Amino acid sequence: MRQRLPSLVFGIANLLTAAVVAVGVFAALPARWAPVDVAAAVLTALELTSAAGLLSGAAWAANVARVACAAALVLGLLLVTALAVTVGWLSGIYGPVGRGGAIVLALVAALALPYLVVLPALELVWLRPSKTP
Amino acid sequence: MAPAFEDPVSVRVLVRALLGWAVATVALSLIVRSVFALDTDADHPRAIVASVWSSGALVGRAVLAHAGDPDAALDAALSSHPGATLVYESAVGEGPVLVRPEAALAMSLVAGRDGLSVTMNGRTEYLTPDDLLVRHGYDTGLHLPSIGLVAGVDVPLALAILADRFGTPARDIVEHARVRRVRFVRSVPGSPPAPVITGDSMTDDDVAAGAFAAARFLARGIDADGRFRYIVDAPTNRTLPGYDWPRHAGATYFLAQAAALSHDADLAWATLRAASQLRDHAIVPCGPSRCVGEGQRVDLGSTALAVIAFVEIARTALDRGYALLVPDLTAFLRGQQRPDGEFMHEYDRGASAPIDVQLLYYSGEATLALSRAHALLADPRDLEAATRGLSYLTGPAWSFFGSRYYFGEEHWTCQAMDDLRDRAPDPRALDFCLRWQEYGRAMQYGPGDAPFDVDGAYGVGALFTPRLTPVASRCEAGIATLEAARRAGKTAAELSPLARQMRRSLALLLRQQFRPGPQHLFADPDAVYGAMPASAVDWQLRIDFAQHAGCALLAWHVSGG
Repeated sequence: MRQRLPSLVFGIANLLTAAVVAVGVFAALPARWAPVDVAAAVLTALELTSAAGLLSGAAWAANVARVACAAALVLGLLLVTALAVTVGWLSGIYGPVGRGGAIVLALVAALALPYLVVLPALELVWLRPSKTP
Repeated sequence: MAPAFEDPVSVRVLVRALLGWAVATVALSLIVRSVFALDTDADHPRAIVASVWSSGALVGRAVLAHAGDPDAALDAALSSHPGATLVYESAVGEGPVLVRPEAALAMSLVAGRDGLSVTMNGRTEYLTPDDLLVRHGYDTGLHLPSIGLVAGVDVPLALAILADRFGTPARDIVEHARVRRVRFVRSVPGSPPAPVITGDSMTDDDVAAGAFAAARFLARGIDADGRFRYIVDAPTNRTLPGYDWPRHAGATYFLAQAAALSHDADLAWATLRAASQLRDHAIVPCGPSRCVGEGQRVDLGSTALAVIAFVEIARTALDRGYALLVPDLTAFLRGQQRPDGEFMHEYDRGASAPIDVQLLYYSGEATLALSRAHALLADPRDLEAATRGLSYLTGPAWSFFGSRYYFGEEHWTCQAMDDLRDRAPDPRALDFCLRWQEYGRAMQYGPGDAPFDVDGAYGVGALFTPRLTPVASRCEAGIATLEAARRAGKTAAELSPLARQMRRSLALLLRQQFRPGPQHLFADPDAVYGAMPASAVDWQLRIDFAQHAGCALLAWHVSGG
């Protein structure tokens, strides 16, 4: 059984991640595209399930949380990579993307990095198997 | 012995993996940038696409190795089309382009600068910027209505043009051709490029000439009934459908100013014809007063702008009789005002009742209209209503969390503030307008901020061609703010940034105005001389584009810069 306080913190964080992904994709994006929508729906479901497990102290919580974190980390890395490559492509075509463009892209990256890269990485570290033989 | 501890996600491994990913991502982005960036050399073009244009139609084309090289096809086209123009589009840079997905191809060409070279079966065809400009091929490819975004090349159109030239289905081009992005620079042999007007070089003569050319463009479009050519498609000179009373009234207002300042009899006559259309066909009963509109439900803006136009016509003595129409119309405007100063923007003529909805611009227009009416007729009720309107617009209407960091496009309020400055000065309103302009300054492009001609325009990124009407309307408000601030005692040094901001925006308008523009792409260049396009690549000419630009230029001219 893992410690209660970190379980609560990560449970709430996963709940928040689910909300950010759902709102970011299904409310903020102006168009629907199946690859993004499906990935977001799956990730939202995984994060919600892992949050429920961690908050309720369920026995299966750690395993589901590991899957959710791995999925979030993979998708987060893909998203940031895609954003960075897109910036490279656009700046190749249009030249410097300008101060406004840089701010917009930095904000998107700043939104994605904490929830989809830093948090799952920390959570995976916390979810490492116990050192007890 | 205890079993070895298995840690599939050790901290060290994770940190190393993430650092490796970060480095790889940065490297990949730089490589992608380098691959897609163009290496341009204007002095040594790779090819020169020579085109013969006649009345906006392409009648001959050849690819030359050097400018001035003889070509029989070009000579034949020029001799068979008297008055045709030979135009060179020099390929000064070339690079790869993503053909799929369609959105990537759409966003791969810089509007107005880039075209394509397509090689298939040993033959190369060029799709040049002029080919796309004449067909409205830029900034029409991607539509995202939810955020009001339209950008990118119209890919089906581009492929259709190329398919026609190759005599093959468009699908073959996507699947089998070698497609490259090409940066072009246009020149017309024998016609040296016109001097470029900048904020520093702009003279008062430039400004006056631009304003009066815009007015004459509008005046030429007025028919026997006094209606404008509401939207003109510049390449074909066709009049497109649609009409709008607020914009009719706004254009009439601008014509009245231009007619009075230029003493041009044709402009005066055009003004009065447009005004008579409003007077005779657009004024209807609205409860106890009268308003401008049609149908059961009318809006505030039509009446407000009609008042502004009628006051200008009377004030400048083009026809003092128009003053007689004003009191009934201002009574309607006052009747639409709420106790807090805000206006109700629609009116139900069947129910004889205002509808308390708010639309963009109308409150500012009504406030300015009441102020102008008071200046002409001295009805204290108009001054009181205008003062309350201004107080609301610059106070409660723009008071919310973050309102110090965000401003909209509404440009009438600050003109009303300036108009009222001697009769009902409002320091808080002046402060609001100065802050709005400061916000605009932060959003203003400088030279080199984008691959387009953007110095003086407003926007947040380099990907979208800036629209010119928001530049013009911000100038109208900015020049009014400058005037009011000067009278309020602000020093020249304090106002220097705002004055420079205005000069750069006005210079942009003058550079983009069709005076004459790329004449070879127009069916009738004389018909669109003086017009203001929506943007550098959107050549549908609506009357308010010329009106706002013209009003801004005239305001600068009158203020003496």
